[in-house]
Amino acid sequence: MLHRRVYQFLIIYFIGLGTLMLVKYSLNLSDYTIPGVSEIWTTCRRYFGLYLMAVLNTLCVAILGHLLSICMATVVGIIGRLTIWIGSFIRVAAYNIQAYPIVAVAPIIFILLGDGLSSRLLIAAMICYFPLLLSFIGILSEPVQEIEHFFESTRRMNWRLQVKIRAFENIHKLITVIVGSATLAMVGTIVAEFIAASAGIGYSIRIALYQSDLAKILVALFLIGVCTSVYLVFLEWLGWFIKRRLGSI
Amino acid sequence: MFRQLSCQVTEPGFHALFGPSGVGKTTLAKMIAGDITEFSGDINLHRIRHVLYTYNLERLPGWYCIREHLEAITPKSNRQRMTELVDSFGLQSCLDSRFAQLSLGQQNRTNLARYLLQDFDLLIMDESLANVDEITKEKIILKIKSLFPERCFLYISHNVVEVSKFCKQIVVLRNQYKAPQAVTLHGQDYNGRRTLKQTELEQIMLEIVNAS
Repeated sequence: MLHRRVYQFLIIYFIGLGTLMLVKYSLNLSDYTIPGVSEIWTTCRRYFGLYLMAVLNTLCVAILGHLLSICMATVVGIIGRLTIWIGSFIRVAAYNIQAYPIVAVAPIIFILLGDGLSSRLLIAAMICYFPLLLSFIGILSEPVQEIEHFFESTRRMNWRLQVKIRAFENIHKLITVIVGSATLAMVGTIVAEFIAASAGIGYSIRIALYQSDLAKILVALFLIGVCTSVYLVFLEWLGWFIKRRLGSI
Repeated sequence: MFRQLSCQVTEPGFHALFGPSGVGKTTLAKMIAGDITEFSGDINLHRIRHVLYTYNLERLPGWYCIREHLEAITPKSNRQRMTELVDSFGLQSCLDSRFAQLSLGQQNRTNLARYLLQDFDLLIMDESLANVDEITKEKIILKIKSLFPERCFLYISHNVVEVSKFCKQIVVLRNQYKAPQAVTLHGQDYNGRRTLKQTELEQIMLEIVNAS
């Protein structure tokens, strides 16, 4: 699973790099615009360690943000599944708020919370939170009548059992959504760092951009891709393990 | 769906609700069970407090094996009965399996068994023994009749033979353009202890087919 995903990423990355080289040499562009292979390799050797630490820093924040958004989506999804007014209110609010781009709110977060960890974490969590929330609300508010009927008829149904039944029956969907939103968490963290943070690979890309150093950006992209692939594979494995433990596969 | 529908089941026992597809058997069953409340008219239940409705598409939660589920949902007072039902329903071999691993017939038997372990006065069985072979089905119905002689059962089935053979009162539901919309007939109420009268059984079957 791991080697396949990394392998796929490497193919895409080197196709992209190849296209850049094709553009460079066919249009006879300078090394300043698009650096040559040797310059990219030199930059890679020089900044690999530094950028790897920056990507791992970003990944840690993304994972924390992802966990935070899963917890928030679960709590709000549980309340949103209710048929009383509060459930209905939360569902409508979630659909309306998610339409608003979080990136546009990011500067306000930085102004209020500064450029530290909390801002990066909050933006990462918010960017992957809404897609998760919509799925969680949809899944948790959809009755599984053929299982729930017995517990309702015998007056054994409570909110924990209801959530457990619905989550278990939709475990494949939940895991797919969680894995899918992991990419968004990584994107959210990089965007946050790119806007105003003082650490992480997004911050390094911003510096490289100011220096117009495409070689550094290409090295950063390479490391982001590899680390994100590893994280996604870990989540897929975790999902497979959970499904296996629950007897769902 | 119903127009001036009137029918009654007067005593405990194994009764049937029979009729062609789409005539409203399940709807009527849900109205009796209280799952459907928005209708005009009255349903009067005398000496019946707990009504349960079960249907053949129900499933058990997947995180339990059958044994764990039955133990979790069986009231302490009915634990003894659980072993008896598991044996007579032929569920011994399924106890350590999960619901999804069972055949359709085993699933229906398991589902019915868990309802029989609850406290109820009336159990409505909507095609609850579908996909169960005839011999096992007969064994199960006779067991239910012997175990719960004072309870009331309403068995919904499309099988005219088993309805005629095992049921005491058979409410034949007809479409809303026929009057009366429900006709009550008497079945053989076979309990395994006396010989079945073949000619009477055929007569009842004919009456049911004619009525529906």
